[in-house]
Amino acid sequence: MIVFDDVSLSFGRHELFKNLSLNLHSGKVIGITGANGSGKSTFLKLAGKIIRPDSGAVNFPTDKKLAAVAPEMKIYDNLTAEENLFFFAKLRGQTLTAEKIFELGERVGLDMKTFGNVRAENFSTGMRQRLKFAILLSVDADIWLLDEPTANLDDDGREKFFSEIQAAKSDKIILLATNDKAEENICDEIIQLPL
Amino acid sequence: MKLFNSRFEQIAAIVRKDFLIGLRRRATFAAMMMFALTAVASLSLSTGGIFVEEKFLAALLWVVIFFAASAGISGTFDDEAQAGTLPTLKLYADAQAILFGKMIYVFLSLAALTIFILPIFLILFDVAVEKIFLLLMTILLGLIGIAAAGTLTAALTTSATVKGGLFPILLFPITLPIFLPAIRLTEISFAGGVFDISLIVVVAVFDLILITAASILFDYL
Repeated sequence: MIVFDDVSLSFGRHELFKNLSLNLHSGKVIGITGANGSGKSTFLKLAGKIIRPDSGAVNFPTDKKLAAVAPEMKIYDNLTAEENLFFFAKLRGQTLTAEKIFELGERVGLDMKTFGNVRAENFSTGMRQRLKFAILLSVDADIWLLDEPTANLDDDGREKFFSEIQAAKSDKIILLATNDKAEENICDEIIQLPL
Repeated sequence: MKLFNSRFEQIAAIVRKDFLIGLRRRATFAAMMMFALTAVASLSLSTGGIFVEEKFLAALLWVVIFFAASAGISGTFDDEAQAGTLPTLKLYADAQAILFGKMIYVFLSLAALTIFILPIFLILFDVAVEKIFLLLMTILLGLIGIAAAGTLTAALTTSATVKGGLFPILLFPITLPIFLPAIRLTEISFAGGVFDISLIVVVAVFDLILITAASILFDYL
Protein backbone atom coordinates (compact mmCIF):
# COMPACT_ATOMS: atom_id res chain seq x y z
CA MET A 1 0.00 0.00 0.00
CA ILE A 2 1.16 3.55 -0.79
CA VAL A 3 0.08 6.07 1.84
CA PHE A 4 -0.21 9.79 1.12
CA ASP A 5 -0.23 11.43 4.54
CA ASP A 6 -1.30 15.08 4.51
CA VAL A 7 0.79 15.82 1.42
CA SER A 8 1.14 19.39 0.16
CA LEU A 9 3.21 20.53 -2.80
CA SER A 10 3.49 23.86 -4.61
CA PHE A 11 5.49 25.05 -7.59
CA GLY A 12 6.03 28.75 -6.96
CA ARG A 13 2.60 30.21 -6.27
CA HIS A 14 0.81 27.30 -7.91
CA GLU A 15 -0.50 25.01 -5.22
CA LEU A 16 -0.69 21.57 -6.78
CA PHE A 17 -1.66 19.44 -3.77
CA LYS A 18 -2.94 20.62 -0.40
CA ASN A 19 -3.26 18.28 2.58
CA LEU A 20 -3.76 15.26 0.34
CA SER A 21 -4.31 12.02 2.27
CA LEU A 22 -5.16 8.73 0.59
CA ASN A 23 -4.20 5.06 0.45
CA LEU A 24 -3.39 3.29 -2.80
CA HIS A 25 -3.86 -0.50 -2.76
CA SER A 26 -2.53 -3.30 -4.93
CA GLY A 27 -4.73 -5.42 -7.17
CA LYS A 28 -6.16 -2.47 -9.07
CA VAL A 29 -5.21 -0.20 -11.91
CA ILE A 30 -5.60 3.30 -10.50
CA GLY A 31 -6.02 6.00 -13.10
CA ILE A 32 -4.83 9.53 -12.40
CA THR A 33 -6.67 11.94 -14.66
CA GLY A 34 -7.02 15.68 -14.97
CA ALA A 35 -6.37 18.58 -17.28
CA ASN A 36 -2.87 19.52 -18.45
CA GLY A 37 -1.00 21.03 -15.53
CA SER A 38 -3.21 19.41 -12.91
CA GLY A 39 -0.25 17.42 -11.59
CA LYS A 40 -0.75 13.88 -12.94
CA SER A 41 2.97 13.26 -13.57
CA THR A 42 3.86 14.98 -10.30
CA PHE A 43 1.42 12.71 -8.48
CA LEU A 44 3.28 9.68 -9.90
CA LYS A 45 6.63 11.15 -8.86
CA LEU A 46 5.34 11.76 -5.35
CA ALA A 47 3.91 8.23 -5.20
CA GLY A 48 7.28 6.79 -6.21
CA LYS A 49 9.19 9.10 -3.83
CA ILE A 50 11.04 10.46 -6.86
CA ILE A 51 10.28 13.94 -5.52
CA ARG A 52 9.53 14.99 -1.96
CA PRO A 53 6.43 16.95 -0.89
CA ASP A 54 6.77 20.37 0.75
CA SER A 55 5.00 18.94 3.77
CA GLY A 56 3.46 15.62 4.75
CA ALA A 57 4.85 12.28 3.64
CA VAL A 58 4.43 9.49 1.14
CA ASN A 59 5.16 6.04 2.52
CA PHE A 60 5.38 2.50 1.25
CA PRO A 61 7.38 -0.47 2.57
CA THR A 62 11.11 -0.06 1.87
CA ASP A 63 11.33 -3.48 0.20
CA LYS A 64 8.84 -2.49 -2.51
CA LYS A 65 10.45 -1.93 -5.90
CA LEU A 66 9.42 0.52 -8.60
CA ALA A 67 9.28 0.32 -12.37
CA ALA A 68 8.03 3.00 -14.73
CA VAL A 69 7.13 4.00 -18.25
CA ALA A 70 7.21 7.78 -18.57
CA PRO A 71 8.22 10.25 -21.29
CA GLU A 72 11.11 11.67 -19.26
CA MET A 73 12.50 8.23 -18.45
CA LYS A 74 14.63 7.42 -21.46
CA ILE A 75 16.41 4.24 -22.44
CA TYR A 76 20.07 4.11 -23.53
CA ASP A 77 20.28 5.04 -27.21
CA ASN A 78 23.84 3.73 -27.50
CA LEU A 79 22.86 0.29 -26.27
CA THR A 80 21.03 -2.32 -28.31
CA ALA A 81 17.53 -3.48 -27.36
CA GLU A 82 18.98 -6.65 -25.79
CA GLU A 83 21.66 -4.69 -23.90
CA ASN A 84 19.02 -2.31 -22.51
CA LEU A 85 16.88 -5.21 -21.32
CA PHE A 86 19.89 -7.04 -19.88
CA PHE A 87 21.19 -3.91 -18.11
CA PHE A 88 17.94 -2.95 -16.36
CA ALA A 89 17.29 -6.55 -15.32
CA LYS A 90 20.83 -6.73 -13.88
CA LEU A 91 20.10 -3.63 -11.81
CA ARG A 92 17.40 -5.73 -10.13
CA GLY A 93 19.75 -8.71 -9.73
CA GLN A 94 18.12 -10.67 -12.55
CA THR A 95 19.83 -12.33 -15.50
CA LEU A 96 17.81 -12.58 -18.68
CA THR A 97 18.34 -15.55 -20.96
CA ALA A 98 18.12 -15.30 -24.74
CA GLU A 99 14.81 -17.18 -24.57
CA LYS A 100 13.42 -14.74 -22.02
CA ILE A 101 14.46 -11.75 -24.15
CA PHE A 102 12.79 -13.32 -27.18
CA GLU A 103 9.64 -13.99 -25.15
CA LEU A 104 9.56 -10.39 -23.87
CA GLY A 105 9.90 -9.18 -27.44
CA GLU A 106 6.91 -11.29 -28.47
CA ARG A 107 4.82 -9.96 -25.58
CA VAL A 108 5.42 -6.33 -26.55
CA GLY A 109 5.50 -6.85 -30.30
CA LEU A 110 9.20 -6.13 -30.86
CA ASP A 111 10.89 -8.84 -32.92
CA MET A 112 14.08 -9.50 -31.00
CA LYS A 113 15.53 -11.74 -33.73
CA THR A 114 15.51 -8.75 -36.06
CA PHE A 115 15.90 -5.83 -33.67
CA GLY A 116 17.59 -7.35 -30.59
CA ASN A 117 21.07 -6.33 -31.76
CA VAL A 118 20.02 -2.94 -33.13
CA ARG A 119 20.93 0.15 -31.11
CA ALA A 120 17.92 1.98 -29.68
CA GLU A 121 19.04 5.20 -31.45
CA ASN A 122 17.83 3.59 -34.67
CA PHE A 123 14.37 2.82 -33.30
CA SER A 124 11.20 4.76 -34.07
CA THR A 125 9.36 6.41 -31.17
CA GLY A 126 6.86 3.55 -31.09
CA MET A 127 9.61 0.91 -31.02
CA ARG A 128 11.34 2.72 -28.16
CA GLN A 129 8.04 2.71 -26.30
CA ARG A 130 7.74 -1.04 -26.89
CA LEU A 131 11.27 -1.48 -25.54
CA LYS A 132 10.39 0.55 -22.43
CA PHE A 133 7.35 -1.67 -22.10
CA ALA A 134 9.56 -4.80 -22.34
CA ILE A 135 11.87 -3.39 -19.64
CA LEU A 136 8.83 -2.79 -17.42
CA LEU A 137 7.73 -6.41 -17.86
CA SER A 138 11.22 -7.82 -17.36
CA VAL A 139 12.19 -6.23 -14.05
CA ASP A 140 11.10 -7.36 -10.65
CA ALA A 141 8.75 -4.61 -9.35
CA ASP A 142 5.83 -4.16 -6.96
CA ILE A 143 4.76 -0.67 -8.07
CA TRP A 144 4.28 0.41 -11.68
CA LEU A 145 4.21 4.13 -12.46
CA LEU A 146 2.80 4.63 -15.95
CA ASP A 147 2.63 8.10 -17.46
CA GLU A 148 0.64 8.07 -20.71
CA PRO A 149 2.21 4.70 -21.49
CA THR A 150 0.55 4.03 -24.83
CA ALA A 151 0.97 7.54 -26.27
CA ASN A 152 3.23 6.42 -29.13
CA LEU A 153 1.91 2.93 -29.65
CA ASP A 154 -0.21 1.66 -32.55
CA ASP A 155 -3.42 -0.32 -31.94
CA ASP A 156 -1.56 -3.63 -31.71
CA GLY A 157 0.89 -2.20 -29.18
CA ARG A 158 -1.91 -0.68 -27.10
CA GLU A 159 -3.82 -3.97 -26.99
CA LYS A 160 -0.72 -5.85 -25.90
CA PHE A 161 -0.05 -3.22 -23.24
CA PHE A 162 -3.59 -3.31 -21.88
CA SER A 163 -3.68 -7.10 -21.64
CA GLU A 164 -0.29 -7.19 -19.86
CA ILE A 165 -1.49 -4.58 -17.35
CA GLN A 166 -4.62 -6.60 -16.62
CA ALA A 167 -2.54 -9.76 -16.18
CA ALA A 168 -0.04 -8.07 -13.86
CA LYS A 169 -2.34 -6.06 -11.60
CA SER A 170 -3.21 -8.74 -9.03
CA ASP A 171 0.02 -8.36 -7.04
CA LYS A 172 1.02 -4.82 -7.98
CA ILE A 173 0.06 -1.24 -7.34
CA ILE A 174 -0.41 0.20 -10.82
CA LEU A 175 -0.77 3.97 -11.18
CA LEU A 176 -1.63 5.20 -14.66
CA ALA A 177 -1.59 8.93 -15.40
CA THR A 178 -3.59 9.60 -18.52
CA ASN A 179 -5.94 11.73 -20.56
CA ASP A 180 -6.61 8.92 -23.01
CA LYS A 181 -10.11 7.39 -22.93
CA ALA A 182 -8.89 3.90 -23.86
CA GLU A 183 -6.33 3.99 -21.03
CA GLU A 184 -8.99 5.29 -18.62
CA ASN A 185 -11.24 2.38 -19.59
CA ILE A 186 -8.80 -0.22 -18.26
CA CYS A 187 -8.61 1.50 -14.86
CA ASP A 188 -10.48 0.02 -11.90
CA GLU A 189 -10.50 3.31 -10.04
CA ILE A 190 -10.01 6.92 -11.13
CA ILE A 191 -8.52 9.76 -9.15
CA GLN A 192 -9.55 12.99 -10.84
CA LEU A 193 -7.16 15.84 -10.10
CA PRO A 194 -8.60 19.36 -10.08
CA LEU A 195 -6.72 22.10 -11.95
CA MET B 1 24.86 -10.79 2.09
CA LYS B 2 22.02 -10.72 -0.44
CA LEU B 3 22.02 -6.89 -0.32
CA PHE B 4 25.80 -6.85 -0.83
CA ASN B 5 25.56 -9.22 -3.82
CA SER B 6 22.72 -7.21 -5.31
CA ARG B 7 24.62 -3.93 -4.91
CA PHE B 8 27.78 -5.51 -6.33
CA GLU B 9 25.81 -6.73 -9.36
CA GLN B 10 24.37 -3.25 -9.85
CA ILE B 11 27.83 -1.65 -9.63
CA ALA B 12 29.26 -4.17 -12.12
CA ALA B 13 26.33 -3.58 -14.51
CA ILE B 14 26.78 0.22 -14.36
CA VAL B 15 30.56 -0.01 -14.96
CA ARG B 16 30.03 -2.37 -17.90
CA LYS B 17 27.28 -0.17 -19.37
CA ASP B 18 29.39 3.00 -19.05
CA PHE B 19 32.36 1.33 -20.77
CA LEU B 20 30.16 0.06 -23.60
CA ILE B 21 28.70 3.53 -24.15
CA GLY B 22 32.08 5.25 -23.66
CA LEU B 23 33.74 3.02 -26.26
CA ARG B 24 30.88 3.53 -28.72
CA ARG B 25 30.74 7.30 -28.35
CA ARG B 26 34.54 7.63 -28.08
CA ALA B 27 34.23 11.41 -27.53
CA THR B 28 35.09 11.32 -23.82
CA PHE B 29 38.09 9.03 -24.17
CA ALA B 30 39.30 10.94 -27.22
CA ALA B 31 39.03 14.29 -25.37
CA MET B 32 41.04 12.98 -22.41
CA MET B 33 43.73 11.27 -24.50
CA MET B 34 44.11 14.14 -26.96
CA PHE B 35 44.34 16.74 -24.21
CA ALA B 36 47.02 14.73 -22.41
CA LEU B 37 48.95 14.01 -25.59
CA THR B 38 48.82 17.61 -26.82
CA ALA B 39 49.84 19.00 -23.43
CA VAL B 40 52.76 16.58 -22.98
CA ALA B 41 53.98 17.02 -26.57
CA SER B 42 53.83 20.84 -26.47
CA LEU B 43 55.47 21.04 -23.04
CA SER B 44 58.17 18.65 -24.19
CA LEU B 45 58.84 20.67 -27.36
CA SER B 46 58.94 23.98 -25.49
CA THR B 47 61.43 22.65 -22.94
CA GLY B 48 63.57 20.79 -25.49
CA GLY B 49 67.27 20.94 -24.62
CA ILE B 50 66.63 22.57 -21.24
CA PHE B 51 67.22 20.66 -18.03
CA VAL B 52 63.92 20.42 -16.18
CA GLU B 53 64.06 19.62 -12.50
CA GLU B 54 62.27 16.52 -11.24
CA LYS B 55 60.11 18.74 -9.04
CA PHE B 56 58.68 20.52 -12.11
CA LEU B 57 58.35 17.28 -14.06
CA ALA B 58 56.35 15.75 -11.22
CA ALA B 59 54.09 18.81 -11.08
CA LEU B 60 53.69 18.79 -14.89
CA LEU B 61 52.63 15.13 -14.86
CA TRP B 62 49.91 15.78 -12.28
CA VAL B 63 48.74 18.98 -13.99
CA VAL B 64 48.32 17.03 -17.24
CA ILE B 65 46.45 14.22 -15.44
CA PHE B 66 44.23 16.74 -13.60
CA PHE B 67 43.12 18.67 -16.66
CA ALA B 68 42.77 15.58 -18.86
CA ALA B 69 40.69 14.02 -16.09
CA SER B 70 38.56 17.18 -15.89
CA ALA B 71 37.82 16.90 -19.60
CA GLY B 72 36.59 13.33 -19.15
CA ILE B 73 34.96 13.22 -15.73
CA SER B 74 32.77 16.32 -15.97
CA GLY B 75 30.26 14.50 -18.16
CA THR B 76 29.95 11.48 -15.88
CA PHE B 77 26.43 12.40 -14.79
CA ASP B 78 25.73 15.27 -17.16
CA ASP B 79 25.79 13.04 -20.25
CA GLU B 80 23.10 10.87 -18.65
CA ALA B 81 21.10 13.92 -17.59
CA GLN B 82 21.26 15.34 -21.15
CA ALA B 83 20.21 12.01 -22.65
CA GLY B 84 17.33 11.71 -20.18
CA THR B 85 18.57 8.38 -18.82
CA LEU B 86 19.54 9.62 -15.34
CA PRO B 87 15.95 9.47 -13.96
CA THR B 88 15.62 5.92 -15.31
CA LEU B 89 18.94 4.88 -13.77
CA LYS B 90 17.98 6.42 -10.42
CA LEU B 91 14.64 4.60 -10.47
CA TYR B 92 16.10 1.15 -11.09
CA ALA B 93 19.43 1.31 -9.25
CA ASP B 94 20.37 1.99 -5.67
CA ALA B 95 21.95 5.45 -5.19
CA GLN B 96 25.13 4.02 -3.67
CA ALA B 97 25.48 1.55 -6.54
CA ILE B 98 25.21 4.44 -9.02
CA LEU B 99 27.89 6.41 -7.13
CA PHE B 100 30.34 3.53 -6.84
CA GLY B 101 29.63 2.28 -10.36
CA LYS B 102 30.42 5.71 -11.75
CA MET B 103 33.44 6.10 -9.44
CA ILE B 104 34.94 2.79 -10.56
CA TYR B 105 34.28 3.66 -14.21
CA VAL B 106 36.01 7.04 -13.74
CA PHE B 107 38.95 5.38 -11.96
CA LEU B 108 39.38 2.79 -14.75
CA SER B 109 39.15 5.55 -17.40
CA LEU B 110 41.84 7.53 -15.57
CA ALA B 111 43.97 4.40 -15.24
CA ALA B 112 43.68 3.87 -19.02
CA LEU B 113 44.61 7.52 -19.58
CA THR B 114 47.66 7.17 -17.32
CA ILE B 115 48.78 3.93 -18.95
CA PHE B 116 48.60 5.79 -22.27
CA ILE B 117 50.28 9.03 -21.25
CA LEU B 118 52.87 7.98 -18.64
CA PRO B 119 55.27 6.14 -21.00
CA ILE B 120 55.00 9.02 -23.51
CA PHE B 121 55.72 11.52 -20.73
CA LEU B 122 58.74 9.56 -19.47
CA ILE B 123 60.17 9.17 -22.99
CA LEU B 124 59.59 12.75 -24.15
CA PHE B 125 61.04 14.27 -20.95
CA ASP B 126 63.78 11.63 -20.78
CA VAL B 127 62.92 10.71 -17.20
CA ALA B 128 64.71 7.79 -15.59
CA VAL B 129 62.43 6.50 -12.86
CA GLU B 130 64.45 5.59 -9.78
CA LYS B 131 61.60 4.14 -7.73
CA ILE B 132 59.06 2.56 -10.06
CA PHE B 133 57.01 0.92 -7.30
CA LEU B 134 56.68 4.24 -5.47
CA LEU B 135 55.60 5.94 -8.71
CA LEU B 136 52.94 3.31 -9.41
CA MET B 137 51.68 3.43 -5.82
CA THR B 138 51.49 7.24 -5.91
CA ILE B 139 49.61 7.23 -9.22
CA LEU B 140 47.21 4.55 -7.98
CA LEU B 141 46.36 6.48 -4.81
CA GLY B 142 46.20 9.81 -6.66
CA LEU B 143 43.81 8.44 -9.28
CA ILE B 144 41.55 6.95 -6.59
CA GLY B 145 41.31 10.40 -5.01
CA ILE B 146 40.62 12.17 -8.31
CA ALA B 147 37.98 9.54 -9.18
CA ALA B 148 36.21 9.96 -5.82
CA ALA B 149 36.34 13.77 -5.83
CA GLY B 150 35.57 13.97 -9.57
CA THR B 151 32.53 11.70 -9.37
CA LEU B 152 31.07 13.67 -6.47
CA THR B 153 31.82 17.01 -8.17
CA ALA B 154 30.28 15.76 -11.43
CA ALA B 155 27.12 14.79 -9.53
CA LEU B 156 27.04 18.20 -7.82
CA THR B 157 27.45 20.17 -11.04
CA THR B 158 24.89 18.19 -13.07
CA SER B 159 22.08 20.56 -12.19
CA ALA B 160 24.23 23.71 -12.51
CA THR B 161 23.63 25.93 -15.53
CA VAL B 162 27.33 26.76 -16.10
CA LYS B 163 28.98 23.35 -15.83
CA GLY B 164 32.09 23.72 -17.99
CA GLY B 165 33.95 26.22 -15.86
CA LEU B 166 32.46 25.15 -12.57
CA PHE B 167 33.75 21.58 -12.60
CA PRO B 168 37.54 22.24 -12.48
CA ILE B 169 37.01 25.19 -10.12
CA LEU B 170 35.26 22.91 -7.62
CA LEU B 171 37.48 19.91 -8.23
CA PHE B 172 40.82 21.66 -7.76
CA PRO B 173 40.51 22.66 -4.07
CA ILE B 174 39.04 19.26 -3.19
CA THR B 175 41.94 17.40 -4.78
CA LEU B 176 44.72 19.78 -3.69
CA PRO B 177 45.46 17.83 -0.47
CA ILE B 178 46.09 14.81 -2.72
CA PHE B 179 48.15 16.63 -5.33
CA LEU B 180 50.69 18.20 -2.98
CA PRO B 181 51.95 14.94 -1.41
CA ALA B 182 51.48 13.10 -4.75
CA ILE B 183 53.74 15.61 -6.52
CA ARG B 184 56.38 15.26 -3.79
CA LEU B 185 56.22 11.46 -3.95
CA THR B 186 56.42 11.53 -7.76
CA GLU B 187 59.47 13.79 -7.53
CA ILE B 188 61.17 11.31 -5.18
CA SER B 189 60.29 8.42 -7.49
CA PHE B 190 61.99 10.32 -10.37
CA ALA B 191 65.04 11.64 -8.49
CA GLY B 192 65.55 8.86 -5.96
CA GLY B 193 66.39 9.35 -2.30
CA VAL B 194 64.54 8.55 0.88
CA PHE B 195 60.84 9.21 1.15
CA ASP B 196 58.57 9.83 4.08
CA ILE B 197 55.93 7.09 4.39
CA SER B 198 53.62 9.61 6.02
CA LEU B 199 53.12 11.23 2.58
CA ILE B 200 51.60 8.00 1.28
CA VAL B 201 49.49 7.72 4.42
CA VAL B 202 48.21 11.28 3.88
CA VAL B 203 47.10 10.50 0.30
CA ALA B 204 45.52 7.18 1.34
CA VAL B 205 43.67 8.75 4.27
CA PHE B 206 42.42 11.61 2.10
CA ASP B 207 41.22 9.08 -0.50
CA LEU B 208 39.26 7.36 2.24
CA ILE B 209 37.79 10.67 3.44
CA LEU B 210 36.74 11.60 -0.11
CA ILE B 211 35.12 8.21 -0.76
CA THR B 212 33.27 8.34 2.57
CA ALA B 213 32.16 11.95 2.03
CA ALA B 214 30.97 11.14 -1.50
CA SER B 215 29.01 8.16 -0.20
CA ILE B 216 27.33 10.22 2.54
CA LEU B 217 26.60 13.28 0.38
CA PHE B 218 25.38 11.42 -2.70
CA ASP B 219 22.14 10.33 -1.02
CA TYR B 220 21.19 14.01 -0.64
CA LEU B 221 21.79 14.99 -4.29
